[in-house]
Amino acid sequence: MKNSYASKWILQRATALLLIPLTFWFIYQCISFQDLQYEELKLFFGSYINGCLFLVMMITMLIHAKLGCETIVLDYVSSLASQKTFKSLINIITFFVIFLVVVAIIKLSLV
Amino acid sequence: MIDNRPLSPHLTIHKKLLTAAFSIFHRISGIGLSIGSILIAIWISLLALGPNYFSIFEFMVGTLIFKIIFFLWTVGVFYHLFNGIRYLFWTYGLGMDLKTVYISGYVILFLTFLATVIVWVL
Repeated sequence: MKNSYASKWILQRATALLLIPLTFWFIYQCISFQDLQYEELKLFFGSYINGCLFLVMMITMLIHAKLGCETIVLDYVSSLASQKTFKSLINIITFFVIFLVVVAIIKLSLV
Repeated sequence: MIDNRPLSPHLTIHKKLLTAAFSIFHRISGIGLSIGSILIAIWISLLALGPNYFSIFEFMVGTLIFKIIFFLWTVGVFYHLFNGIRYLFWTYGLGMDLKTVYISGYVILFLTFLATVIVWVL
């Protein structure tokens, strides 16, 4: 249990570190898009480099978000049963959203 | 271990300090950005589904509610990012004396304001 908390603490900081350049990259790209139109975005995500960077950013962001939300639940929810429910919900949402993004990026890179 | 873990102190009984406010807003912005990441996933999924589905997003872009959400997302991203960098320094025990904590706090507010203005003006 002790090691689990320590590894989560390290993972949260490692994902935070990785997110710094990726977030700046994503915001820069968002500014660069003229009107967020379909063709422009499809072309952008059709590039393997952009698709991979976006995928890495999203997975890192979702893991970071999952760890952060779990910490908040542990800090402010007293009931063990509620803690377990929230943690399960966070896990389900995280893995479903990661699945959604992976499928979307694969589809965009194949078209 | 989890059974005996103490809860965080209740927010209402403490004197309101800038340092506490920074911590609370880091968590609030974190929750907001977590929801935002789900919206980004929906956005990329609509794009992958094709132009008919993506037109839902294109319609949303023009609405006031989208602009408000996007503005709050921008503020949240920059605040969480800059304050997160400060937390990474704290991890190594750097900049933790009270004076530096307050100065870095004001620097974060300024950088968040500046970065948000740059994004919205550009």
